[in-house]
Amino acid sequence: MAVDWLNPYHLQVASFVLINTLLGVSIYVTLATGQLSLGNAGFMSIGAYTTAILTTRHGFPMPAGIVAGSVVAALAGIAVGIPSLRLTGVYLAIATLGFGEVVRVVFVNWESLTGGAVGIAAIPQMGRELLASLRDAGFAPESIGLRGNQFISLSVFLILFASTLCAIGFFFRLGSSRVGRAYAAVRMDERAAEAAGIDTTYYKVLAFTQGAMLSGFAGALFAHATSYISPADFTYHRAVEILVFAVFGGSEHLLGPVFGAMLLTALPELLRSVSDYRYIVYGILLIAMMVFRPQGLIDPPLVNRLAGKKAAGGGSRDAA
Amino acid sequence: MNGKIRLAGLVFAFVFAPVLLGATGYAEKGKGPEIHAKIGVISILTGPGAAYGEAITNGFKLAQEEMNARAGLRIDLVIEDSSGKQEQALAAAQKLINSDQVVAILGPTLSTEMKVVGPEANASGVPIMGTSTTAQGITQIGKFVFRNSLPEALAIPASIGKAVRKYNLRKVALLYGNDDVFTKSGYDTMKKVSEEMKLAILTTETFQKGQADYKAQLTKIKNLAPDAIFCSALYEEGAVILSQARKMGIAVPFVGGNGFNSPKVIEIAKGAADGLVVATPWFGEKDDPKVKAFVAKYEKRYGKKPDQFAAQAYDGLTLMAEGLKKAGKADRAALRDALAGIRNFHGVLGTFSFDEERDVVMEPAVLIIRNGKFQLFR
Amino acid sequence: MFAEQLINGITLGSIYAIVALGYTLVFGVLDIINMAHGEIFMFGAFIGMVIVTKMNAPLAAAFAGAVLVTAALGYLLERVALRPLRGRTGVSHLAPLISTIGVSILLENLAHHIFGAGNQLFETPFAEIRFTIGSTTVYLVQVVILAVSVVLMGGLSLWLARTRSGKGLRATAESLETAELLGVDTKRIITATVVIASAMGGIAGVLVGMAFNYINNQIGLSMGLKGLAIIIFGGMGSVAGAMAGGLILGLSETFVVAYGSSGYRDAIAFLTIIVVLLLRPQGLFGRAAPEARR
Repeated sequence: MAVDWLNPYHLQVASFVLINTLLGVSIYVTLATGQLSLGNAGFMSIGAYTTAILTTRHGFPMPAGIVAGSVVAALAGIAVGIPSLRLTGVYLAIATLGFGEVVRVVFVNWESLTGGAVGIAAIPQMGRELLASLRDAGFAPESIGLRGNQFISLSVFLILFASTLCAIGFFFRLGSSRVGRAYAAVRMDERAAEAAGIDTTYYKVLAFTQGAMLSGFAGALFAHATSYISPADFTYHRAVEILVFAVFGGSEHLLGPVFGAMLLTALPELLRSVSDYRYIVYGILLIAMMVFRPQGLIDPPLVNRLAGKKAAGGGSRDAA
Repeated sequence: MNGKIRLAGLVFAFVFAPVLLGATGYAEKGKGPEIHAKIGVISILTGPGAAYGEAITNGFKLAQEEMNARAGLRIDLVIEDSSGKQEQALAAAQKLINSDQVVAILGPTLSTEMKVVGPEANASGVPIMGTSTTAQGITQIGKFVFRNSLPEALAIPASIGKAVRKYNLRKVALLYGNDDVFTKSGYDTMKKVSEEMKLAILTTETFQKGQADYKAQLTKIKNLAPDAIFCSALYEEGAVILSQARKMGIAVPFVGGNGFNSPKVIEIAKGAADGLVVATPWFGEKDDPKVKAFVAKYEKRYGKKPDQFAAQAYDGLTLMAEGLKKAGKADRAALRDALAGIRNFHGVLGTFSFDEERDVVMEPAVLIIRNGKFQLFR
Repeated sequence: MFAEQLINGITLGSIYAIVALGYTLVFGVLDIINMAHGEIFMFGAFIGMVIVTKMNAPLAAAFAGAVLVTAALGYLLERVALRPLRGRTGVSHLAPLISTIGVSILLENLAHHIFGAGNQLFETPFAEIRFTIGSTTVYLVQVVILAVSVVLMGGLSLWLARTRSGKGLRATAESLETAELLGVDTKRIITATVVIASAMGGIAGVLVGMAFNYINNQIGLSMGLKGLAIIIFGGMGSVAGAMAGGLILGLSETFVVAYGSSGYRDAIAFLTIIVVLLLRPQGLFGRAAPEARR
């Protein structure tokens, strides 16, 4: 077969890389205003559960479910973001960590809605759904030289790829817009920003909500990529994992979390023999990064050097 | 000149033949009676569930050695870690199915993982057998999905039924781990069976994974004075619960689910384990030469007694070998058909058959711990 | 039943309080949350377990061993994950939070590799001593745990208020630069603080082993998160707040199970965090509203 090299396993890993990239970006967006949120696993679960419940029980089509998941997560983001305004730094980090755990405990206990620890199974999987509807329309993947499971994995990958590209593109442009400059100003010095006439409250809540929405979006995609979710998918360890992506890759430039998520998701898959020690490596990475390169692997000067420019680039926060 | 080319060709063949064979994996060798099968294993090697994964892979490896010692069959195991997470299990399955081209998959460990991995293997036409997945609706995923692990739906009615008859139970307390699929679905079955048997449920208490202190729940239960406690827990938590309950003076019998059944309960809880009733596919003290040989071999190799996870894994691979022999070739579809036809297979778990839905048909043994030992509960 | 549950709650609460004291001490001086404290506590429990159960040594040896090892871990933590970040320009205030999260993941998984995944029996004859008052059974261990927590709290308060090194510590907490100008060896003070806090974690670890008889490598995470909730509830850096917060959390968790639903037991701590931070960010015994620490 012509496309035998197209390996569903590799596509599967690539798909998870993309979901993790979205999660990495979601923590970055909130950090753009200097707020560290450890609640993104919670927002992710809200997005995932919303679409899972709507599509499996209420017959929503999948795209509507994904949009609803993102919106509900964003609303939760506003609900958490506004009262959290008075919290900064570590206080905010701990409060959002607590929020994530509360969400998980609620999902475990609210059995009539979420199925409790058993979770929700048989969520429509985007690749299989697409293939089924295409088959109805008379299309066979074999006609373009693909096996069924190859087609499924490829379509999941492509949908996620397009979504991730859109999200990154959006936030890249945002970075150089008025909003992005306001974010950077808030991050540098909140009081100075306020004195300069920037509505810091608005921008902080906006950044928080955008982060929550993106996490919810990633969660919804996650639900439709794996077709099964349970509260165990959204534990403290997930929150830490998301944090590691941003910290390792770099939290001062949009490409940082993108790169961090890609490398750290793909690496353990490539080195499955040492996957026993995955979390030990994560731990050491976090310490080492803080000690030797707290801004992460990728920072604006590096990007600019690579881009061959002297002036700060579009996605750089130092542009402000 | 010619000779050199031939030599080069020979060298080339020697170097690349294994590579090509490895790449095609399950393809027939064509010559000779030997079946060479590459079987994938998905297990938990890291993270909180690693204790289960260890027993399971031990069971697989022991069975593999035995199978390979016999003529006519050579099994290679490709073992992948899932650390108990669905997406990692799915990635591992994808790797096994597409990169390693395995003929079949054993595992994954948890029912949650199976619900993600099962549809994938089924869609790819790869037989997959859970050796520790006991929740409902596993083999109904598709016709390539099997299991040889005793489902809770069979185990719990057996143990509760026997305990109710023997102890004349009327009122019971339920205690279960509510953040784990396994213990939660075990609890659902316990509740259903209790209601069917018209037992009075005094209270329902929950706990969470890794909890160290169960005294608040147990004190509450103690004061309600039930005739028995139905406890859906994995042995890790279950043993600690038993120990703290006995220390507190709760002397009533405990009836546990499938996951409570492990020699480790006695190892962890010591004397406090007495009075635990479980239904099990696996009874290590059974007077059966096959069981005795397995226990002796396992103990010698790994320095501990096999639990049901090890035993089910051991039988799981043996069933695979049986299927391969019946199929006569390492082919995915042929293996599926051969497996689906297995009836009255005699393994360390006893006499075992697959039903029409590739689920388990067997008579569970009901055991009770007395004097620090599992004994048949009569 | 009430009396028994009260004892259960006080025992749990005292352990929470000792864990929280470790957090509060480090926060009070360094203004950072040591996310690895729970895992250091877990290591203390395991060291105690090895000494008592595997080596059959007396309980005192377990305490000594656990304190030694956790103190050493605290020292390493300070040297590797905290000191390199201190006083450097351009390092975000979140850096120590993240680096200690790194230490916590590292220790949790190291414990898994060293001590195994499952529950380990912590067996000591001392844990069997009990007496009965009326219809209520009290274990000596439960009394000891309460006593230890009170003694630690009192000792800590006295030390901070009365001794020279305690005053130096408070000065350091107030302002690093000023303390240095006044001739306080801040480097030593900070190291000592982290080491003492960690050693207290070690003591708590052995006490947990004695109280519940079992330990596993997950208790660091669950106890650590509870400890975190308590210091926020009680007020960051407040010794009395840690004690009161610990007892309140232990009692409310126990009574939620006793008279309510056990499913939400773990949510109490986190709900508390959120509610307190929103209504009274300085906590119950907090000194003043936390300034925007950025």
